[in-house]
Amino acid sequence: MNAISKFLLLAGFALLPTLTVAEEKPAKTAEEAKKLDEKPITVPFELLKSRHMAVMVKINGKGPYKLIFDTGAPTNLINNRLAKDAGVMKKDEKGGMMFGLGGAKTMDTLQIGDVKLEKVPVMVMDHPTVTAISNALGPIDGIIGFPFFAKYKTTVDYQKKELTFTPNGYVPGDAMQGLMDKLMKGSKGKPEPGVAAPAGVWGFTVDKATNDDDAGVVVKEVFAGSAAFDGGLRANDRLLTLDGRWTDSIADTFTAASLVKAGRAAEVVVKRDGKEVKLTIKPAKGL
Amino acid sequence: MRWHIALALCLGLAPCALAADDKPAAKYEIPYRLTDTKHVLVRAKINGKGPFNLILDTGAPAVFVTKAVAKKSGVDLDDKGWGTFAAFEVEGGLKIEKVKTRVEDLVQIEGMNSMGLAGVELHGVIGYNVLAKFKIEYDFTADKLAFVELKGFEPPPPEKIEAKGTDDIQSMGPLVKMLAALSGIKPNFEIVPRGFVGIEFDDTKAGVVVKKVLPGSPAEKAGFKTGDIIEAVKATNVEAGKDLVKALAKAGVGTKHRITVKRGDKTEELSVELGKGL
Repeated sequence: MNAISKFLLLAGFALLPTLTVAEEKPAKTAEEAKKLDEKPITVPFELLKSRHMAVMVKINGKGPYKLIFDTGAPTNLINNRLAKDAGVMKKDEKGGMMFGLGGAKTMDTLQIGDVKLEKVPVMVMDHPTVTAISNALGPIDGIIGFPFFAKYKTTVDYQKKELTFTPNGYVPGDAMQGLMDKLMKGSKGKPEPGVAAPAGVWGFTVDKATNDDDAGVVVKEVFAGSAAFDGGLRANDRLLTLDGRWTDSIADTFTAASLVKAGRAAEVVVKRDGKEVKLTIKPAKGL
Repeated sequence: MRWHIALALCLGLAPCALAADDKPAAKYEIPYRLTDTKHVLVRAKINGKGPFNLILDTGAPAVFVTKAVAKKSGVDLDDKGWGTFAAFEVEGGLKIEKVKTRVEDLVQIEGMNSMGLAGVELHGVIGYNVLAKFKIEYDFTADKLAFVELKGFEPPPPEKIEAKGTDDIQSMGPLVKMLAALSGIKPNFEIVPRGFVGIEFDDTKAGVVVKKVLPGSPAEKAGFKTGDIIEAVKATNVEAGKDLVKALAKAGVGTKHRITVKRGDKTEELSVELGKGL
């Protein structure tokens, strides 16, 4: 199980091998978030030759260390050397090996530019890809991933080589916990299909013939007096998108509806008499 | 005099030239989801085929898709495993032509799919060569990601670097597949709709009050009336709307449910068979 969690960690990041064949030509609470200055904080990044973004960080007041900023990494990660240097781990302690044990630690403080966080979870591990980049492009000691940037409205600008962070109160869930739950739960054969539950009641039905490969689904029935009816949806409309999401299948239609909270106006695009028509529908509280 | 005319022409032209240059950078609202593994997932159509589920990953130097996706969308490969999407459309209206892609069955993607770890089937990642063309705002309290085109910016391509020591990762794929086999975990990416009731309700001090019963809906057939106070689903008490929604969260089309309502002084038990609809 531990190996799997390590694997998950690698999942977003282990893409370097392909660089060698690259083109030849050139958990924090909302309260804590409020404590931070709500103004955006800008942090410069270095664009490495591998085209990863590198940022300078201080951990437990030590450093600065160079880490990679990675939107595809579900966890933060530092290598054993940094962990010992910054006192995240005792000198005689061993971090998580590729197939080893442990590795989940806490950084007392993490500072990136003017952003300072306390009690930040991190995996301690000598990640082979980080090691490889480090060997090629100078010391690089880890990855800053989802548990950090999810706490902010984060803007990535490759032209200015800047990251901008504005606290948004979002509380990142624990990827590892979710994974463990899944492993605990799903050990008996094939699981049940997922159920997509609309987050509000719209008041229409859709259908799609098995041999119908065109974009969208067909609106079969619109209930009188429903949100959909009031928004102008009609039977025989071809529903193309719901809240900007493609509705090419019945499952996709329900998935899109599961992401629109009751009371929020959503744009709905239908094809009617050969023309695309934009509607606004505000699903009601209900089911 | 001539000079004045020239100046006037200049002044007259300058705003025109600026206007052409000042065409606002294209903005896109890109719908996304977070996977169970906390990856940022968007959907895209490749050469009109799909949609495919792709992770936004600044840790990847390029777009990567599986061989199956490349085949399905008719992408030809060169002998080094690279191809080009003639048309790449990200959900939310972002269209890019001639996108270079790496075609490879990444062990990470295969591994996650073999156990269904992400909760959704993954088909690849969108990396630097596309992401760097846009200023991207990630805000997980918002419903969409904001992409703003970086006008006139051509991201410098990755430089070739010597990299070693990646065998560990390559060995993980088979390992995870083996663990998947041993643990008996199989993925199921199928999604089915929840069943439809056909009521609008309000949370009030008195409880969950039925505000509207849609005509012809399963709720109407079951005998729901406007003003009913929903008290329980089978043995589960309903105190707020969210209790009701939770009680029926996984209820499929065709399932039957006993729902207790208070109507005036009386308590009624209604049986509703969930229908198709949303």
